Amino acid sequence: MNAFVLYLVLLKATVTSFAGLASLPVVRDELVVKRHVLTDTQLNEAVVITRATPGPVGLYVVSVGYFARGVPGAVAGWLAMVTPALLIIPLVHFAGRKAEHPRVKAVLEAVVLASAGLLLAASLPLARAAFTDPVMLAIATATIVLMAKTKIDTLWIILGAALVAWAASALMFVTTL
Amino acid sequence: MPTPIRLRHIVGMFARYANLTFGGGSATVAVLHREIVDKRNWIDEHCFALCYALCRLTPGTNLLAFCTGVGWSLRRWPGGLAALLAASIPCSILVILVTVFVEHWSNNATAAVAIQGATAAAVGITIMTCWTIAKPHVQRASWTYVVIIVAAAFSLEVVFSVPPIRVLLGAAVLGALLPVGKR
Repeated sequence: MNAFVLYLVLLKATVTSFAGLASLPVVRDELVVKRHVLTDTQLNEAVVITRATPGPVGLYVVSVGYFARGVPGAVAGWLAMVTPALLIIPLVHFAGRKAEHPRVKAVLEAVVLASAGLLLAASLPLARAAFTDPVMLAIATATIVLMAKTKIDTLWIILGAALVAWAASALMFVTTL
Repeated sequence: MPTPIRLRHIVGMFARYANLTFGGGSATVAVLHREIVDKRNWIDEHCFALCYALCRLTPGTNLLAFCTGVGWSLRRWPGGLAALLAASIPCSILVILVTVFVEHWSNNATAAVAIQGATAAAVGITIMTCWTIAKPHVQRASWTYVVIIVAAAFSLEVVFSVPPIRVLLGAAVLGALLPVGKR
């Protein structure tokens, strides 16, 4: 896949979302479902990598770009990630307090809520790719509980999940990979 | 007139604090507030709050938009670009290196099972992110409104296979047409 086309596809995802992982449904639809240059497993790994390293969650598109097209793809992913950020300059310059207009906020609210629903929908095929064993389902459930009930950094949760999976494998609890 | 902040200081600030903070955008914004407003007094509370509010209205990664907005407030376009590049390049390079590592080691059986465990955790993280995204709006809108929008978007994607971009555009139209105020 051409790196420029990859940039446009990823830009389409980032410019229509308002939070890091909210672009994931469009990324999955374009790269996994339609163009087959990425797998659900790689998409999951991109999320893992981003959550295990410092910086914004939106960085996962850089990892996605690398999986799809190597280093040129990673550069395309980085460009797609940074391009929408420039839109804040005219907002700060011209809009200022008008951005607090109730109608603008209402539109944004509906889009953000819809993106939450889409992200939930996108997590279903990701779960199918990840839950190869009951232990993996238990790990995902424990992750949700830990994130909801504690303030443990996601880095430690991910490292703990990797350790639990490894230990379960060593003890022959994990059967399918 | 106060001396303008040097670009290299802007680069140093965002390279250090926007790249090395775990815990997502909120944690990073808190660190940047302490460094930029409390310690160095580069911008005032109002400007910081304005950039934070507007970054939520900017598509893409909110944190990068926030850094760009603060950089622009400090030194206009050169400041905005310097902040954006400094806040995104070092962590992107780290992500590429880790991706190369994961791609290489995913063929190793021991590493593969550990990566599989981390991947399962990522599914949990993704599901929790849905709540993180919707949560601020639960306080402003009624539960019914939140559930209807989220469930409608979910159903359109899963049941009717409507492309996500159309769902988002439809939501924008709905938000524009419905009466403003508590929903």
